Amino acid sequence: MAKEEHRIVKGQVMVPYEVALGKTWSMFYDFLKEEKIMGKKCPQCSRVLVPPRSFCPRCFEDMDEWVEVSQEGIVETWVYVNMPFFAQELKIPFISAQIRLDGSDTGFIHQVAGIDLTEFEKVREIVKLGGRVKAVWSREKKGNILDIAYFEPVK
Amino acid sequence: MGNAVAIIGTGQTKHGRRSDVCYPDLVREAVTAALEDAGITLKDIDGIVLGTMPSMMEGVSSTHFYFAEAMGSVGKPVLKVETCGSTGQSIGHCGFFWVASGMADIVLVVGSEKMSEGDGQATMTTVFDPFFQRTFAAGAPGVFTMQSMEWMYRFKIPEEKGREAAARISVSNHDNAMDNPHAHIRTRVTMEDVKNARIITYPVRLLDVCPASDGACAVIFATGEKARKICRKPAWIKGLGFRGEEFFYGESDKAIWMSATEAAAEAYRQAGIRNPLKELDVAEIYNPFTYQEMIFYECFGFCPRGEAPDYVLKGTFLKDGELPCCPSGGTLCSNPIGATGLIRLAEAALQVTGKAGARQVEGAKLALSHAMGGVDQFNGVTIVGSEL
Amino acid sequence: MQRVAITHVAQSSGMESKESLMDFTYRVNKEILDKAGLKRREVGCIVAGSADIFHSGLSCANAFDWDGIGAFLKEGSRAEESAFSFIYGCMRILSGRYETVLVTALVKGSENPDNDPITSFYGDPFYLRPVGVNESVVAAMQMRQYLERYGVTEEQCAKVAVKNLGNALFNPYADRKRRVSLEDVMASERVYDPLKALECAPKSDGVVAVLLASEERAKTLSKKPVWLSGYGCSMDHFHPGDRDLLKGQLPAAAQRAYKMAGIDDPGKQIDVAEVCEPYAFQELLWCEHLGFCGEGQGGRWIDSGMPLMDGALPVNPSGGVLATNPYPARGLYRIAEAALQIKEEAGEHQVGKKVRTALAHSTHGFGGQCHSVVILSA
Repeated sequence: MAKEEHRIVKGQVMVPYEVALGKTWSMFYDFLKEEKIMGKKCPQCSRVLVPPRSFCPRCFEDMDEWVEVSQEGIVETWVYVNMPFFAQELKIPFISAQIRLDGSDTGFIHQVAGIDLTEFEKVREIVKLGGRVKAVWSREKKGNILDIAYFEPVK
Repeated sequence: MGNAVAIIGTGQTKHGRRSDVCYPDLVREAVTAALEDAGITLKDIDGIVLGTMPSMMEGVSSTHFYFAEAMGSVGKPVLKVETCGSTGQSIGHCGFFWVASGMADIVLVVGSEKMSEGDGQATMTTVFDPFFQRTFAAGAPGVFTMQSMEWMYRFKIPEEKGREAAARISVSNHDNAMDNPHAHIRTRVTMEDVKNARIITYPVRLLDVCPASDGACAVIFATGEKARKICRKPAWIKGLGFRGEEFFYGESDKAIWMSATEAAAEAYRQAGIRNPLKELDVAEIYNPFTYQEMIFYECFGFCPRGEAPDYVLKGTFLKDGELPCCPSGGTLCSNPIGATGLIRLAEAALQVTGKAGARQVEGAKLALSHAMGGVDQFNGVTIVGSEL
Repeated sequence: MQRVAITHVAQSSGMESKESLMDFTYRVNKEILDKAGLKRREVGCIVAGSADIFHSGLSCANAFDWDGIGAFLKEGSRAEESAFSFIYGCMRILSGRYETVLVTALVKGSENPDNDPITSFYGDPFYLRPVGVNESVVAAMQMRQYLERYGVTEEQCAKVAVKNLGNALFNPYADRKRRVSLEDVMASERVYDPLKALECAPKSDGVVAVLLASEERAKTLSKKPVWLSGYGCSMDHFHPGDRDLLKGQLPAAAQRAYKMAGIDDPGKQIDVAEVCEPYAFQELLWCEHLGFCGEGQGGRWIDSGMPLMDGALPVNPSGGVLATNPYPARGLYRIAEAALQIKEEAGEHQVGKKVRTALAHSTHGFGGQCHSVVILSA
């Protein structure tokens, strides 16, 4: 005799992948190893895109010109993340931020750290929209986005 | 312009945690309701369009296979369309074009999600690329918070005022959901409840955020000729637009939000709408976050940039206001993602055909429906009217 | 009624690319726009074809695809299988609202797991998946029935692989390029007995784009537009056990397409066919279902030489899916190749006979759960 309650089956789905970064993004990471943040400039609209692209999504033209951008920029927006979820890479709490690096025309997504992050009220006294931040490099370079360890507020 | 197309029936499930049914049965519930509403049977359906959020959310990919029987698609042509959160609008658009192309007379469109069967935030994080931005992603709340903060900063909206207006939006959506038997969250909340709710990602609090819902919606599209024959009161498709921005977050301006602005502009152009605030009678906006709803008001031309909080505070978008928004309780009270955009369209159709029951806006003739998808990347708009 | 034409085609090689998926997509789209002399901004609408589960670890494939397909702030959408994308693009034109639509399908198989673990996700997680069902498993069960019920031989099935991999040697875009003999195929590992390794499609990279245009626009864009004259699609039951695996929905899909195109004798009226055959024997079964030969006659049909490159009805002159299998893009590859045959632009794998009408077929799902048939005409 079947039971009344409805059964739930639990499981997990894992799909491995291996993603080719291609020439432009591979070079971006090579530049990071040299502690340079490089963008690419569109020959048509003249925007500098960071991360770089091999082509401009708006003009649909190849972008061949590398441009080094500043390691400092302005916080366009940020979020204090104190919410755990599956497969999160960074330990909470952390700050995700959109940073307009001087000399670029796009917002660069990274984390703001290097300050005490435990209390939100203290953090918001330091991290401000429009405030300036500066890249802090990891000593050991692994060829990934965390070769820039984080951006720290400029005093 | 082009061939006339109308909505002749809609169906929705009760949205919420639906562990009483398996996923295909949930889909079937909406399909059956839509067929009943239109007064037709599966035999009358020439083709079926479906879509969900990311394929693997519920542990099954390519659900057009899994739902074959539930949608009644065995032996029929199928088209699977997906554009993340905006899927609901995109499948509606596909239903429209299938009929408008002359390749079908009647098309069934089905959107669904069973959020309780997956980890929505973890899944959405995989929308970010795995080499630049995923590391810093914090699901949907993280992104929407960043966007809201940027918007308030840009237009110098004082934090207090933004908070007050967002709380009003939460209260009114919750009030509206009380009138909607399909809604997931049906509890009244007060301004104090919203302002004191648990912080998710500052300044966004629990009651600023939609739930994760199970639910499905089905909408039936027909040629003008068929619609007039079958349906006493069809909802006519007046205009539609879909726009997307660049993939990488931060590349385009989310305080102005071109994709939302231009998707609506395109739909207005087709519908001949010049002053949306005056001409539209009701809007069903995809509003998973209270603050974001205000950005949409501005993108859709309901008010000038930076002034949405003022309009909210003076009651413009309340049920008895100048342009009632989300009389269904909106996405804020029910969010089965793949269905959500189609629910907005179904609700708009119900409004202009006078079938919205307790949530009916008196005399509504022209309605906007909308959905947003990706990491703030996509926006789709459909406008329906009681007259062609 | 409006008409819709394919005016231009561009495709990448099926071989593994070291480009990023975004760049890989961009190159092909840039190429087709340059060929057509169009700017991105001038295209009316853009439809992508890509599948989340075949998408390099990225969900919501349309999000990542958007830049490379040139869709920034353009009207557009995405369908999960590329024959769906194609027909959706056609619908946009036929509605009279767009003069041009760019349809692009893309995948990098090299960045994904093998097709078998991926297709196992078509199954539900409590019945089909736990008992090991994937597309190859169902195909092997289907093949066994095919051999037993009609007396088709394993050698006859293997001949399909010999033919298609042979054709692929003349296709510069093909992935698996290897001259194989009947003995090679028969001796290859019996991976899903009776299926042998060389009878199963590889996983390939691939981006393919077709530019669609309204009748008026097509005539100015191209000297030789290729017209859509028929389309049919049909979906089968989900559980393979609910169906007769040898009947299926392809006859229904084909009949819809034939009716629309005014075809009553497909074996005579169709000049060339690009058939989606992820498993060698399926080409024979599908050709029966398409009405190229009688029920159970697939074996004799290939023995007769009819489907060879210089035969009366060449099938898969491109080498088909057995040579190149960019899974969610393979349907659009078939359509593009069929169009190239009509345009006489297929190069070394152009068939000898004059092509006026071509058939393209796409299938996906267990044992061909969903079939699409497209008829193109000069």
